[in-house]
Amino acid sequence: MTDSNSRISISVTNKRAFIWEVDDIAVIRSKYRICGILTGTLPHVSQQNVFLGVPLSLMPEEVVLLVENESAVLVDDPNAYPEPSLEQITEWDSARLESIQKQLNITESLKHASSLNTRSMSEEAIRKRRERKQRKTIPAEETEPSLKMSMSGHPVHSIVIPASSSSTKWYSPGTCTYASIDSAKAAGIWDYPSNLHERAKCGVFRSLWEQGYFMGGGIKFGGDYLVYPGDPMRYHSHFTATVIDSPLSALQPMEIVAHGRLGTATKKAHLICCWDDKKKEVTLMSIEWGGFG
Amino acid sequence: MDDILEQPSSEAPPPKFDDNPDEQSSEDEDEGLDWTKLKTGISRPVIPKRGEKEHEPAAGGESGLQQHILQRSRNAMFDALRATRTISSKTVSYGIWHPSLVRVSVHVARGTHFSSMGHSASRPVKGKERPTKRTELLPEEAIYLIERGSLFCWKEIDIDLSGMEDVSGAPMSVQQAYAEMIGTEDVTLEKYQVYSYLRRLGYVVTRTVPPTSEYPAAAPFLKMGQLGQPRCSIFERIRSAFSSWILKLFTSTFNWWKPLGISRWLYHDKNYEHIFRSLRFMPAGHQLPLRQTKEDSSPYKPFYNLYKPPTPFKKTLPPPPDFQIVVINTRTTSMPSLQELTDLFDISPELPIPLPKRSPPPRPAPTPLSWWRAVLPFLRRDLGPPARRPNPFAALRAGKKTVIVAAVDSGNISFFRFMQGAFMDWPMA
Repeated sequence: MTDSNSRISISVTNKRAFIWEVDDIAVIRSKYRICGILTGTLPHVSQQNVFLGVPLSLMPEEVVLLVENESAVLVDDPNAYPEPSLEQITEWDSARLESIQKQLNITESLKHASSLNTRSMSEEAIRKRRERKQRKTIPAEETEPSLKMSMSGHPVHSIVIPASSSSTKWYSPGTCTYASIDSAKAAGIWDYPSNLHERAKCGVFRSLWEQGYFMGGGIKFGGDYLVYPGDPMRYHSHFTATVIDSPLSALQPMEIVAHGRLGTATKKAHLICCWDDKKKEVTLMSIEWGGFG
Repeated sequence: MDDILEQPSSEAPPPKFDDNPDEQSSEDEDEGLDWTKLKTGISRPVIPKRGEKEHEPAAGGESGLQQHILQRSRNAMFDALRATRTISSKTVSYGIWHPSLVRVSVHVARGTHFSSMGHSASRPVKGKERPTKRTELLPEEAIYLIERGSLFCWKEIDIDLSGMEDVSGAPMSVQQAYAEMIGTEDVTLEKYQVYSYLRRLGYVVTRTVPPTSEYPAAAPFLKMGQLGQPRCSIFERIRSAFSSWILKLFTSTFNWWKPLGISRWLYHDKNYEHIFRSLRFMPAGHQLPLRQTKEDSSPYKPFYNLYKPPTPFKKTLPPPPDFQIVVINTRTTSMPSLQELTDLFDISPELPIPLPKRSPPPRPAPTPLSWWRAVLPFLRRDLGPPARRPNPFAALRAGKKTVIVAAVDSGNISFFRFMQGAFMDWPMA
C-alpha cells in the first residue's frame, strides 16, 4: 500500500505500543480511524486527569490492524538508544547554549522595547503594565537577567524536555524496526495475537473497523469494545461489543439478560460478535430489550 | 460552591477571567508558571472543552457542518498535545538515570515534589571511603516528574564529560524514559499509569512493599479502637457504666420475650447469644479460616500505599496509609478468587462503623439565645439531638474491611472496591 518511509512508527516497550508524534496521532485518527487512548501528563496542566497528553496508548488489536494494513511499523524502543558519541553530546550542548543565548536576546530586546515605551507611556499603558504585574506572569527577575543567576551560571531561561525522541540525534530506530507482526514476534518484542481469544478479538475488531466504525475500549460498559458511528470525539457509541471465541462457545442465558439490561441502561445495543476461526468470519447479533409491558 | 447556593445574595458572583472553566482545577500548580515569559510562539495549551456529542453522522456521510465541527475539535486537541514541555532553569530539578541501579539519583532537587517523593540511599562514591547519602527516585517517580516537566534527566554514560559545563550524561526525552524505565523494579505500564493518575489527582503514592531496605516502609495499621472512635472522658465512661448497671438493677421488669434474662447470673451459658450459637449448624463469620487452595503467585497483592492530600505525610516516617491499591491488567487477570480476596482482607485494617447519615438540619432562624451557645460549647451538646445508633444496613454495605483494585485495560483505568460485609455482627433477630 505505502512504502515503509511513510509508515507510522509505533514504539513498543514491554509489549505495549505507543505513538509519540502528534502528527502521527493526527494521521491515524483522521486517516485510519484509530483513536487509541492518551495516557501521558499534559504539560502545564498536569494536575488533572480529564485531558491527557502524549503518549497515545494503542490497544493491541489496533496495533495488529495498523501493521497488517501496512500503515505502521513497530519499533523496538528500548534498543533504539545507542550510547551517543562525545561529538553528538557536544553538538547537543552547543545547540542548548545557543538556544539559551537566543532566549536571552529575546528577553533583552523585549526589555529594550519596553524601556523605549516607558518614555512615551500613556495612562493606558501604565494601567496595563500594572495589571501585568499583578498577574505575575512575568517574574521580576526577568527584567534584570544579569543580576539573578541560576545555578548553572546562566541567567534564568527555560528548559525544554522533549516528549518524543525524534529530535535526538543518536536515536536510531532504523536498526530495530519491524514491518510485520510475525517479524516482531520473532524478535520477541510483540506477542499479540497468541491464542484463539486474541485472534477472535483481532478478527472482530478488523471486521467492525472495515465497516467504517470507530472502535474504543468497552471495559467501562461491560464489553470488549465500544462501536462508534463516527469519531468518538463528536458522536455517541451505538453498540457495546462482546467477542465470542467460536460458534460453539456456550452462551449463558444470564449473560444475554445482563448484556441486554446493561445496553438498555446505557442507551446502547449490545453486540455479540462471534468469531469463526476456520472461516475467518464474524457473525454479529445485537440484543435489545423488547419493551413489551 | 455550596455556600453560594445556600446563601443567596443580590450580588453577582465575581467574574471569572479564566476563559476555560475546565482548566480551573488544574490552575493551582505548585510551581510557578514562569514559562510564559518566552514570546516565541509557545503559548499555553488550550484544552479542548468537553462538549455535547451528536447521535450519529448525517445519513450518507457527514454533513459539512459536522465535518467542520469535528475538524475544529480535532485540531484543538492536536494543538493542546503539541504544547512544549518547558520549565524555568530556576525551578527545574536534575537527575541521572542509572540503568544498573534502576534508580534516578537527584543532584538538584527543587520544588515541593521532593517532600513526598524519593528516598535517601547511601552509595559508594569514587575517591571516598565511606558511602555518601543521596536522594534517589524509583522509576515511576522519575517518569512522572519527567513527564510533568519538573525533572531533567540524564542517562549515565561512560564518556568523560569533564570538559562540558553542566552536562552529566546523555539527555533523555520522555519517550526514552518510558522505554527504559517501565518494566524495571516491578513497574509495569499499568502500575505506572495508576501511579501517575493518582499523583495527578494529588494523592501521595508510595510502595506497599519497600523495594530496598533503605526505602521507608509505612507504619502498620492501627488496631481498631485506636482509630476512628471518638474518645470519651473517664468521667463519662464511669457514668455510663454506672447508669446502665443501676438502671438494669432497678428497672428489671420481667420481659416475656427474654425469659432467660433473669437466670443469666446463675447459668451464665444460658444467654441468647449462646443459645443461638449452639443452634447454628453452619459456621459463619470471617474469623474462620478458609479452606486453603493453592495460589502461587497471585496478582492480587497491594502495590501502592495511598495518602489523601490532607493526611500529614512525612517522607522518612510514613504514617499508616489511607488506602492500599492493587493494580491488575484486565487483559491477563481474571476476577479475584475467594482465596485472593480473603488474603487481601486479612491484611486490611478494620474500618470504623459508618456514622448514620443525617439529613442536613434546617437552618435555624437566628435567635437571641445563640450567643451563649457559642460561648459555652458544652451546652450545645446537651441541647443537640441524641446520638443516633448506626444503621445496620449502612454498616453492612460499607463492610468492615475494604480492598481497592485498579483495573487497567490498555490505558483505561477503573477503580473497584470490594467490601467484606460483617453479617455476623449485625444479627437481625
